[in-house]
Amino acid sequence: MKALYSLYPDQGAAQEAVDLLRVAGVSDRDIIIRSGEPLDDCELGQRDAGTWLPWITTAGGVVGLGVGTWLPRATAASWPILTGGIPAASWWPNLIIMFELTMLGAILATAAALIVSAGLITGSTAIHEPALAEGWILVGVMTSEPSARVENVLDPAGAGRIRTVN
Amino acid sequence: MTARWGMAVDLDRCTGCSACVVACHAENNIPTASPDHAARGRAIHWMRIERYWDGEFPDVRLKFRPVMCQQCDEAPCEPVCPTYASHHTAEGLNAQVYNRCIGTRYCANACPYNVRFFEFVNPAWDKPLHLQLNPDVSVRGVGVMEKCTFCVQRIKAAQLEARAGGQEVGDGTIKPACAQSCPATALVFGDLNDPESAVSRLARSGRGSKLLEELGTQPKVTYLARQTP
Amino acid sequence: MIDDLLQPVLRTSWRFVVLILVLGAIVAAGAGAWLYQVYYGIGMAGIRWPVFWAFYVTNFVFWIGISHAGTLVSAILRLVNARWRRPVTRCAEAITVFALMIGALFPIIHLGRPWLFFWLVPYPSERMIWPNFQSPLVWDFFAINTYLTGSVLFLLLPLIPDFALLRDRTAGMRQKIYTALALGWRGTPKQWRRLESAMTIMAVVILPVAVSVHTIVSFDFSMAPVPMWHSTIFGPYFVAGAIFSGIAALILVMAALRKALHLQAFLLPLHFDNLGKLLLMMSLLWAYFVFAERLTTWYGNDPSELAVFWATQRGTYAPLYWTMVACNLVIPVCLLSISRLRTITGCAIASVSVLIGMWIERFLIIVPALGHKYLPYSWGTYRPQPVEVVITVSTFAAMVLLYALFSKIAPVISVWELRAGERTR
Repeated sequence: MKALYSLYPDQGAAQEAVDLLRVAGVSDRDIIIRSGEPLDDCELGQRDAGTWLPWITTAGGVVGLGVGTWLPRATAASWPILTGGIPAASWWPNLIIMFELTMLGAILATAAALIVSAGLITGSTAIHEPALAEGWILVGVMTSEPSARVENVLDPAGAGRIRTVN
Repeated sequence: MTARWGMAVDLDRCTGCSACVVACHAENNIPTASPDHAARGRAIHWMRIERYWDGEFPDVRLKFRPVMCQQCDEAPCEPVCPTYASHHTAEGLNAQVYNRCIGTRYCANACPYNVRFFEFVNPAWDKPLHLQLNPDVSVRGVGVMEKCTFCVQRIKAAQLEARAGGQEVGDGTIKPACAQSCPATALVFGDLNDPESAVSRLARSGRGSKLLEELGTQPKVTYLARQTP
Repeated sequence: MIDDLLQPVLRTSWRFVVLILVLGAIVAAGAGAWLYQVYYGIGMAGIRWPVFWAFYVTNFVFWIGISHAGTLVSAILRLVNARWRRPVTRCAEAITVFALMIGALFPIIHLGRPWLFFWLVPYPSERMIWPNFQSPLVWDFFAINTYLTGSVLFLLLPLIPDFALLRDRTAGMRQKIYTALALGWRGTPKQWRRLESAMTIMAVVILPVAVSVHTIVSFDFSMAPVPMWHSTIFGPYFVAGAIFSGIAALILVMAALRKALHLQAFLLPLHFDNLGKLLLMMSLLWAYFVFAERLTTWYGNDPSELAVFWATQRGTYAPLYWTMVACNLVIPVCLLSISRLRTITGCAIASVSVLIGMWIERFLIIVPALGHKYLPYSWGTYRPQPVEVVITVSTFAAMVLLYALFSKIAPVISVWELRAGERTR
């Protein structure tokens, strides 16, 4: 499996290159885009928005709330020890435990969802292109046989800008 | 019926002799503090005699008040303990479980009467004084809180004996070390659930009041006001 | 630009080594003092009847307070999209994590039997007993752990792209470490989107947690019937004080980093000017809370509360009290309200003053009240002992040490965020 790519100086140029690649028949799945910073200004950065992430946070929070509600009540019921003339388990102090565990659930769910959905543990290794750190944007194609159309898009002037990775 | 232990302290009878303090030390294996330790605030007195001066010289009066754990029904020291070392028993006592105590000292801060004490160092008794330790009472190590227990070891012993004999514990059978040693019988201990017991009758006295009653701790020690000038 | 930011990570000077050795020695002294205390008993500290909490709990509240800098400043600035936040956020987040780590040690240090601290953890034990969920100390356990988890993630997640950057710039063992730390970061638009979404969510979630943490720490005091502790104002008062001391710590750390790591091009007078204004506002807010509390106490005329009130204002603790007022109100207001004095140096001096004043404030909340409870026969004072002083000093050294080590592992200014910000300008 090879990859061919070219470097573009800004988001506009990168967007153009991606559009041309799509016209050239390359599917979105095979297009490789890498950058050293978020691509907030163009369409490239808008897809895969992951708008379901807040729902995962909420789900984590609900789980945390459940644990937080159950824990003080169940443990107090297992061995009711009376203190200070108040019941063994009361709502006002339990609200604090419920709140903290809700937030903990939300935090852990968000972090886990980020790590899993961004493919941070699995996933292929990076393309080590130092220019990414300088602000260049990498646009390329994952392909086993290079086609002339793709090469034309990536390097219209034939200036030898195309790099390959195996 | 389950007992509810309380005490009455007659401030008219108390002479400030401190026999109760000494007896409490002996009964409950309380370490004696050296002068240096006492100066550093490490002296432990489960029972203490508070002494207040009243008036200006030459019309000065001395007032004594024996203060021990008030065994509050709504003790502020109990809910704050993270390990349930301080909790309430069915007989109304505030129990201190030394083994559960990790020494956060929150209970001592929460106690408005300052009747809770802390083992700052491992106590030691020079030989042969270790022979006088009471085998019925734990010797506490460093880092745990302790306080007056109404001599719970004597309460338990009396209850076991009564049960073995098939009888009830009679009023006046149980005497904590302080009540036992008071020469003026200023300290009376008994069951507040028995309306005819000596302590119940004294608790109903017109002279009676509770210490820091306005805080709502519901202490079970009634102080009978001093009437003699 | 990137080279300037990565230079402290990639190159080590002899000055750094000396600093680490000196700080390490001080921290070792603190650890030694604590071991001494564990061996000979908590009685080596100056606590006594009736002042059972003093230096260690002061330090606990102080460091947890400092930790509010980071996440609050970073989270709030992220959420309102303040442009000037970019060089500041990672500095702030790092302060939070390290201050929390240090602060969380003190509940263990101050225990009478510290080897049993794990009994605060809710686990099924063979004793069949669980922690008392109605105790504020157990609330502390949950709050601080939640906040620590959240803050660590809040610091580490946006570090991933910078770890990837370092992975691409180093070789050998260092590269292996950074490869592991960078996880599988490739820089695809999907990963960037996810990261930014996650950071926004985290910023929203961490704010209520931060507020709750110091409120719960304040509950350690307000839940006890101690005169001048049992006050409903403690929650908001402590949170305001925490933010106040946190911003002071942030300014100081930024000023130090600017000098030590030559970040003059990134940490601009503008940043200090803005943070200085924030500090001024927090100083006035702190004064407002103190005024509200003290007026109510004075007017209420309760004898027990007035005993504590006068002890701080005119009695034994008066020198400390008025030093605190000077440090927390007079000096910051003078330095920070005059724009000509609100320079980097001016802000740094104000910050040092605030940190001293806030430490004294914590001490004055705890000790005078415990020394003057309801029964005058049992009043008492407090004198710190050497172990307490050594441990206190060593925590400041530990903070600087942790920060120095952090600056060796990661750039203290977020490279990718700074670049993204420059592009949008």
